[in-house]
Amino acid sequence: MALNDDALNLTPREAVPTAQSVRSQKRRWKPALLLVAILVFGGVVVTKFLSSAIDYYCNVDEVGVRSGCEGTRRLRVQGAVDEGSLKKAAGMTIFSMSFNKKTLDVRYDGDPGGVFQECIPVVAHGRMVNGVFLSDRIEVKHSNAYSTENKDRIDKAEAAACSLPKL
Amino acid sequence: MNSIQPFPSPLTTPTGTRASRGLGLVVFLGMVLLTLLGLFFTDEDVVQGSTVRLMYIHVPTAWVAYLAFIVTAVASAMYMWGKQHSLTFDRIAGASAEVGVIFMGLSLVTGSLWGRLTWGTYWQWDPRLTTTVFLFVTYVGYLAVRDLGGSHQQRAKRSGVVALLAVLEIPLVHFSVVLWRSLHQEASVLQPNGNVTMDGLMLFTLLFGVAVFTLLFAWMVLHRQRVLTLADAIDDGGLEAALQERRSEAN
Repeated sequence: MALNDDALNLTPREAVPTAQSVRSQKRRWKPALLLVAILVFGGVVVTKFLSSAIDYYCNVDEVGVRSGCEGTRRLRVQGAVDEGSLKKAAGMTIFSMSFNKKTLDVRYDGDPGGVFQECIPVVAHGRMVNGVFLSDRIEVKHSNAYSTENKDRIDKAEAAACSLPKL
Repeated sequence: MNSIQPFPSPLTTPTGTRASRGLGLVVFLGMVLLTLLGLFFTDEDVVQGSTVRLMYIHVPTAWVAYLAFIVTAVASAMYMWGKQHSLTFDRIAGASAEVGVIFMGLSLVTGSLWGRLTWGTYWQWDPRLTTTVFLFVTYVGYLAVRDLGGSHQQRAKRSGVVALLAVLEIPLVHFSVVLWRSLHQEASVLQPNGNVTMDGLMLFTLLFGVAVFTLLFAWMVLHRQRVLTLADAIDDGGLEAALQERRSEAN
């Protein structure tokens, strides 16, 4: 069959919206909206990184010395719980922690729980009040060393924690 | 009207082969053995107790996520710099990223549970956690970019650029515990000085878990890229059908 002029007309036709094409257009909005939400959330994460993560804690020996570790502001302080310093009284957990031969007295309202114990490194959140660090949150840092209990070893967890490399 | 070229249907075209079914069986048996090793044969950690068993899931999922994102970048590079610009590479990149996002999510969840039990908190904006969640969000964004529309070649080029940029975040995440002060512990196996600070069976179980999860990743990507091939074929079939209809109107 010979082709007529109409058959060679390649001008794009005006699209008649069908249920499928409407669905397809709606579908493209979803990833675009998701992308916008991701960019916003990514911005939040970057802000958190710059404001919190990049300088997560001060060490005990830096409190009141290093910029950003002033005793007048809320701090996160890292140190190892001193052996023999841990006491519990009237719902308070009292201990001292050290880093680089500097010691800080800490009072925590409550029981830190978990694997908190003497000699373990911790990050305490709180404020300095009259030379004592009043903490409302204790985070226990665990080391990258993993070993099993062994009867041939001194297998008390406390002893294991105290035998960890000192901070 | 001319007959329309048939295109494969996901309902009638299986994505499995004898080899992939064999791989699936190996993965299944490996997972069973890993469960037994992790829950029953390995001892508790002297400080963390049974909590340490989360490591046998947490570390392999994080490893697979890194691997998946590296595969995505390599496949994207092979698409972009290959002579034929084969869409197979693009589909491997997409499939690998999807699997990577799943495993990165699992790593964040298991890490959060582990954090609650040891640190005493589910989440803190510390360097490792923050960079990891940023990596996760970046690859969710990569998947959204893949779904923005256009031709398959446009999709491959657009997402390939994102993949090649996003993979640069991985060293930042891995070394975040060294570069900045982090609540997260440093590496136990891949330490810069080559030391391994883990007891024998614990280390074996961890490495076995990494191997099994890597095979699981391979199995998932194999099937997923075949599904993506079928999805592309359906798209192409739809276009072909429209062209056939237009041609038939001219006759």
